[in-house]
Formats: sequence, C-alpha cells, structure tokens
Amino acid sequence: MADKIEEKVALQTENSRNQGRRAFLKGSAAVAGGVVFSQVAQSSSGFDAKKAVAPYAGQPELTEVLQDGPARKTLGFGVRKYPYGMPSPFEKEVQRRTLEWLTPDSMASITMSPIHQLHGIITPNGLHFERFHGGVPTINPDDHRLVIHGLVERPLIFTMDDLKRFPSISRIHFVECPANGALEWKGVQLNSVQWTHGMMSCVEYTGVRLSDLLKEAGIKPEGKWIIPEGADASGLSRSLPVELAMDDCFVAYAQNGEALRREQGYPIRLVVPGCEANMWIKYLRRIMVHDVPMQEREETSKYTELMPDGTAQRFSWYMEANSVITYPSPDFKMQGPGKYYVRGLAWSGRGKVAHVDISTDGGRNWKEAHFTSPVLDKAWTRFEWEWEWDGSEAFLMSRVTDETGYVQPPMPQMRNLEGTNNVYHRTAMVTWRVHAWEDEKSGGLVENVQY
Amino acid sequence: MYNTKQTIVAVSIAALFTGSAFAMSNNSDKTVEVSEKIDGKYAANYVEIIKNADGKYLDKTVIEAILGVEATHGRAGLEGKLDPENPYSAEVDDSIDGGNHGNAQCKIPKAFVEVHESAAANYYNDDTFVARGFGTPISEAALEVWNITVDGDGKGLPDPSVGMTVEEGGELYVKFCSMCHGEFGEGAKGYLPLAVEEDLVTSSFTDPAPMKSVGNYWPYAVTLFDYIRRTMPFWTPNAPYIGDAGYLGMTGYILQSNYIPMDDEGTELSDDTFFNSEVLMKMNKYMPNQGNWFCDHRPVIHNVRCMNNCPDEQVGGNGTGDPTQYRQARTLPDGTLQYNVPQRLHEDKPGVGHAGM
Ligand code: HEC
Repeated sequence: MADKIEEKVALQTENSRNQGRRAFLKGSAAVAGGVVFSQVAQSSSGFDAKKAVAPYAGQPELTEVLQDGPARKTLGFGVRKYPYGMPSPFEKEVQRRTLEWLTPDSMASITMSPIHQLHGIITPNGLHFERFHGGVPTINPDDHRLVIHGLVERPLIFTMDDLKRFPSISRIHFVECPANGALEWKGVQLNSVQWTHGMMSCVEYTGVRLSDLLKEAGIKPEGKWIIPEGADASGLSRSLPVELAMDDCFVAYAQNGEALRREQGYPIRLVVPGCEANMWIKYLRRIMVHDVPMQEREETSKYTELMPDGTAQRFSWYMEANSVITYPSPDFKMQGPGKYYVRGLAWSGRGKVAHVDISTDGGRNWKEAHFTSPVLDKAWTRFEWEWEWDGSEAFLMSRVTDETGYVQPPMPQMRNLEGTNNVYHRTAMVTWRVHAWEDEKSGGLVENVQY
Repeated sequence: MYNTKQTIVAVSIAALFTGSAFAMSNNSDKTVEVSEKIDGKYAANYVEIIKNADGKYLDKTVIEAILGVEATHGRAGLEGKLDPENPYSAEVDDSIDGGNHGNAQCKIPKAFVEVHESAAANYYNDDTFVARGFGTPISEAALEVWNITVDGDGKGLPDPSVGMTVEEGGELYVKFCSMCHGEFGEGAKGYLPLAVEEDLVTSSFTDPAPMKSVGNYWPYAVTLFDYIRRTMPFWTPNAPYIGDAGYLGMTGYILQSNYIPMDDEGTELSDDTFFNSEVLMKMNKYMPNQGNWFCDHRPVIHNVRCMNNCPDEQVGGNGTGDPTQYRQARTLPDGTLQYNVPQRLHEDKPGVGHAGM
C-alpha cells in the first residue's frame, strides 16, 4: 500500500516539475500503447453534454433582462489617461497593510503583502512588502555609486551605466523577512494570511552576477567574507561568507521588468536567493571584502534566534521550506458544500519545491497537490488540489517537501524544539479550521487555529 | 582561521564497506555504501552519498547514513554539530582575539554540496576569467569617508587618542538619545530600551518573550559603537556634531548602564574613565551573554513524508492526535471571532496607505 502511494507521488512530481517534459512523457506513453489508450477505450461514448450540465438540473433560470450600463453605452477613457497604469478602482482593497502596534514609527517598520489576493507566483511591484530600518531614500541614479574594496587586488567604483554594461541575468526569487510568521509564535493572533505570511513577495529580478563584480576587483585569498552596505539612513550591513556570495547572488537594478521601486532599494539592491531578506542590502553602495564577519547589529541583536534554554542561534542565512493555503483562507467564506480548488504557495530557501501535500483532517492523512505554476529554484510555487467538501468541520493544512528532502514540520514539534521566544524563522505549518456549513452562527467561516 | 580546504579527502572512500545499504529516499533504488568514517563518526564519502540521493542532503535517511543512525537530531544533536569535521557543522575556528570566544565565524556546512560546487565553478575554479574593465579604480584612502565598518575584532575603531569620559558621554546621550531610549536606557515612547535585566529563559511557552538588549543579549560590545555611529540618533544618523569621540563616550555610557565589567575582577566603568577604543576592546571580552551563541544548525527537525494514518505527534491537537484541540485568536468585544478586513484590529482604513509613506 505504502509503496503504491509513493510510486504515484513520484510520477506526479515528475510530471508537474517540468511542463515541457510532461508533454513529452504523455506523447511517448501514447505511442507505447500504455495506460493512456486503455483509459480512452473505457470511455468510448466520449463527451456527453447532457451529463456535463447535470449539476445545474432543477435550478431556477434567471428571467430578468440584462441591462447595459455605462460601460456599454458610453465611451471609456482614452489612451495615456494614466501614463503609468493603475489598478481598477474596484481593486482598492488590495493593498499592503501594516499593524501600527508593531513599531513606534513608520520609518523602521514593515508592511505585509496581500498574499490572499495575489495570483500565480509574481508579486506586482506596488504590492511588494516593505521593511525599512531608516525610511526610504529617493536616490538619483546618476549620483549613485557602488564600490568594492577591502581585501581585493584593485578597489573599484562603478556607476549605474558601468553595472548595466555587465552581462545580465533575470531570475524569479521569493524574498522573505525571517520574521514572517513571527506573530504566531505565542499562539494565533489574527485571521488573515496577510498577517501570518505577508512579510514576503516574489518578483523577477534583473541584474549583474555578484561573482562577476567580485572577480573584477580580484578577491585576495584572505578575503573570506563580504560586507555589503546600503546608502540609506540605516546604512544596513550584513556579513556573507564568500561561498554564498559566489553561489547565486546578484546585484539587481530591475524588478518585474522595470527599475526597482524605491521601497525595494532603488537604484540597486543585493539579491541573496533563498536567504533572509535583511541580507538583500538595499540602496547598495559599498561591498567590503573582509577576513572575518562584522557582527553588525542586524546579525547579533536582531535576526538571531533565542532558544528556550537561553542560548541563541546566529547567522541563520537560509529560509526554511514553507507553504500556506491562500484559498480558502480566513479572508474567505465557504459557499456551501461541494468542490473547491484549494490553492496556495510553497517555497524553499534551499532550492525547488518537490511536493506539497494537503490534509483536511488536521494532519492525519495527506493527498498530494499538483503545481499550477513553473517550479523554480528558490521561488514561490503555486499548488492546487481538488477538494470535495462535504460541509463538515475540516482542518486544512499544507505541507511542503523540498528537493533537499526537508519536510515541513507541524507547529508543536517546532515549538518543543525552539520554544516561542525565537521571533524569527517560524516556518511550521498553519491550520485553517473550516467551520461546519450547518453551524448556525459561523457556518462556512475559515479560521486560523493553532495546535 | 577559516580554511576552505576540505581536510578529509585523504580518507580512502573505497577502504571499508560495512555491507549495510541505506535506502536514500522515496522509492529510490539508489543506495550507497557508507565507507570509512571521519574520526569514526562521519561518513567520509558524504558527497557521494548525497549525490546518489539526488542531492537530498536534508533527507532523514541521508543524514543518518552520513552521521550514523545514532545521530540525534534537535537540540541534543548540537554538540556533534560543533565539530568542524562534521559535514553538517556550521562552526569554524574562533581564532581571533576579539572576545573570550573570538569573533565567531559560521560557515555553510560542507554537506550543502551544491553551494560549494556552485561557488567553485563561479569563482575558485574559474581560471578563464578576464576582467572586463568596466569599473574605475579607486584608492582605499579615497574610500575612508565611506568606510565606517568596525568588525567583531575591533578593526576599524578610532585611534585610542579619540574619546571622552563616560560622564561626558552620558551628557551627550541625554541630549540626543534619551527622548527615545530613556535616560538610563529604560526605553521611552515604545522605542527600544538599551539596558534591561530580563532573564532570557521563560518558564512557559505562553509567557511574553523576554526583552533582549545590550547587557543581557548582545555578544559584542564593538557592535554598539559601530551601530550608533552608523544609525543614531535615528533622525540624523552619523552626526558630525557628535563625532567619533562623542559616539565612543555614549558607547561607554550605555555599557556602564548595562554594568558590563572590563576585567576578571568585575571592575566597572567609573564616570571619569576616559572611554576610548582600548577600553571598548577590553569590555568586548566581558559581554555577559557572549558564550551562549551557536551557529545555525537548522534544520533540527527531520521528518519523513508521511501520507496516511500519520502518528499522533504529527497530527493536530499538540500530541493528542485530536484535531479539535486547538487554540484560537482573540475575539471581538462581543465575543464573536474576528474575521475579514473590516474586523481586523488596528489596521489602516481601506484606501489609505501606510502612514508616512
Ligand atoms: C527618534 C527616536 C530615536 C532617537 C532620538 C535615538 N534612537 Fe536609537 N533607535 C531608535 C529606533 C527606531 C531604533 C530601531 C531601529 C530599527 O529597528 O532599525 C533604535 C535602535 C537603537 C539601538 C539598537 C537597540 C537594539 O537592541 O538593537 C541602539 C543601541 C540605539 N538605538 C542607540 C541610540 C543612541 C546612542 C542614540 C543617541 C545618539 C539614539 N539611539 C537615538 C530610535 C531612536
């Protein structure tokens, strides 16, 4: 029994991991005269239109005449009314939000992306989450410079034009504050995926490989760390081991096809795929190559994890694999028993997502979801799973397994090992309680609960 | 010092076959014999084992094959992970003279072979690289105005002739900092305190998390000087009217408020101590919490991907296996659960962006 399931799981994954390859596999199966043919033979009658519409049987028909409104009867607005296009006014509720009580002012604060209102795997630039330590500067790119110095053969200074002359790369990556999910360490706080998982976004970055820039300056053998620094009021710095810098980091000047937004580091930021967002230094102006780490405030006082025995973990670079169901989630109400396409996001700082499984009974039994987006390295991956809801109380959970073999743990297990004073890296599963449809007061509500 | 050369390649991989095969992962028919162990503890052929498991270096069976089935995970497994020979260790030598534990360095564990291979290909082994010449050379001296980095060993600190007495530093602090951080570092208006006496261990998971600050948490004193010169006072960072001497004096005042000693006898700063980089480096060795840090050794949880009838500890109900045993969020004043946009607490009105944006 167990073997069979695993076989099916492996097959599904292969199929969903690579869209191009799936088409190929299907084709070859048909040629080989295998499973595909026999299935076709069984349903020889083909598509039956009467059967297809059966669920509508007995429903009253609408008889009112459809009235044409102004959209049909008058001309709409002309070109270039908005030289830079804006979302429809009907989408005005879709916005990043903050909790005022989190920080004493807005210059060292955070907003969360409306994860439950996003589709696919790309976050629009205007909805990208924000995290500042000294407010947002407005920097003229003509005046901006990047220097690489320290333990290098030849300190160099680059203009924006210089940087854009280098070979470019474009990559889709998620960027996540390690405090994402922090509100949930001590228990459940609020009913929205925007608050539980909104301190992250996923965009396409374009820029220059950091390894190209560092090689250009010629790192000396003693240079084991790089210390990037921002040009803003916080002068944010972190220490990155040179292996990490040479692996897949780059200096980005564009996000989603246009220049970076100021909130995300205009004119340039560091991209450290899979790692804590605070390492992705914004307004990047200086990279010092050094022999030891710096022990900056953001890698000692903050962004370190206090354990239950009073010891603390430092240099927690990678973001653990994580997943969340965005639909249904607490911002939605169920519309009655029936079919639902459970959707959500999965991501891993250590590579690609391999499997996402869904449970409706609080984690006892799991079914594998399939992917509706490309499966990319260190990027959001969109999953979906067909669920026949019978209207009874359900406990929805998603669990990711990444390509390194890491399986997302349940919350009690993480709490028992890491305590609840940690603040950062709360990456265990969350649970959405779907209230029974029959429940008089709350039928169909989706509630954030915690084990 | 951090040495990138792997010291264990000399161990012969084919030397010893235990005869036992380890199944690597879901339904994989690939198995790898564990060869000789480093120090009798860790499989020397860990790279081979990981590659044969399709790179699943965090898979429970792979970790067990490399570290041994007796390898404990979670916090108890930390001890073994502090051994630099352990492929999963994030720790390297603390050989710098900054504090009593040195300027602790962490590294990317050797078991994360992909990162190391990528770095090798992009950098160490790239002998064909020819500079493009797109940048402009600049002298280190010209960069001095920008270089404000002080590292954990104190490199980058001002000359010992620069400084002021702790009392003078305190006067500056009261003038420029106390409105937000309190006269004695107790915090004000919701801004962070800079001196607290809280215990870092709480008795229950539901207790409020302890406040972490300079005296009870920070591992390095030099960080304080670097940070306040870099970013404070919040509205006018790196202020010339405070200057290096002023930032050093305020550092002294904050360290004094945290009762940090500067020698084995526990001598504390007095008001007329001339606080300079030398005094700061002495105190850098006596930060009370310095010994309580370890490098990232996550993941500490290695679960198997269970699909059916999973064990109770994996199921809702916090170990009971009963999914209806859960905790809920706070409720609205009338006792009903708060849901959806208009009911969320303390949020911006729809249509209004972030205050101050
Ligand atoms: C306007 C209020 C304000 C003033 C004035 C101010 N600070 Fe701050 N301070 C802050 C804020 C806000 C933060 C947190 C910044 C962040 O999170 O990025 C902070 C953080 C700090 C920290 C780090 C605390 C920790 O636990 O990580 C120190 C140390 C500090 N300030 C020292 C000073 C000193 C010294 C001065 C005077 C030169 C000063 N501050 C003036 C608002 C202020």
